[in-house]
Amino acid sequence: MPQLNPTPWFYTMLATWLTLSLIIQPKLLSFTSTNLPSHKAPAPTKTTPWTWPWT
Amino acid sequence: MNLSFFDQFMSPHLMGIPLTLLSLLLPTLLLPAPNNRWVTNRLSTLQLWLLNTITKQLMTPLNKKAHKWALILTSLMTMLLAINLLGLLPYTFTPTTQLSMNMALAFPLWLATLLTGLRNQPSISIGHLLPEGTPTPLIPALILIETTSLLIRPLALGVRLTANLTAGHLLIQLISTAVMALLPIMPVMSTLTAMILFLLTILEIAVAMIQAYVFVLLLTLYLQENI
Repeated sequence: MPQLNPTPWFYTMLATWLTLSLIIQPKLLSFTSTNLPSHKAPAPTKTTPWTWPWT
Repeated sequence: MNLSFFDQFMSPHLMGIPLTLLSLLLPTLLLPAPNNRWVTNRLSTLQLWLLNTITKQLMTPLNKKAHKWALILTSLMTMLLAINLLGLLPYTFTPTTQLSMNMALAFPLWLATLLTGLRNQPSISIGHLLPEGTPTPLIPALILIETTSLLIRPLALGVRLTANLTAGHLLIQLISTAVMALLPIMPVMSTLTAMILFLLTILEIAVAMIQAYVFVLLLTLYLQENI
């Protein structure tokens, strides 16, 4: 199995981490989100029933 | 020279120049360039939606301290997704079939989660080695079993991704070889095999996405225990 040849292992590791940290992370950081994922504001829920106005 | 079926997994070289770095950099071209505009084009908007969905999906079960890991986990997911899916195109080299790349990703990240837990909350992290409600006579055996299972996690993480993708690519190559070999002899069998190949390709697309997700999901699970 050619994957088990240990010669390129160090360079593959280096290339992977360099790509991940120097290229992909800055690209993803530069995405300006229109709606940031945020925690839901803990608002108390309505417990008393109310009738829908039909008119 | 005659190629064997495993030669698709050899690290790519062109006249002696190693192309490994190129094979890792090219999938990043799918991500759009940074833009200062609030509303960008369709591709950027779709990718932003995908990114936010992935981030929310990964970060929901984690506590607030763990949200610091959002960037590295999301970028890992993006990279694995892009590399896996691009590898399904014919004649492309998939870096995630290389055990070296997957171990290089799995081992440091798993170690980071482990050391985070051991450093900040050592008792709780070590306490995970004994499940609740264990009968007392079983405790020594179970601690050994849980320690082994803990130490084997990075290996499992790396080998899972490697094996799934390697097996998929190998199957695709074998069945396409069968289709081409049967074409002059039994065209009907060749057509049936081609239909199997089509279904297999759909499966491989699903596997590519699922394996990328599982890799990152397991890392968030290991993080959950330790942070």
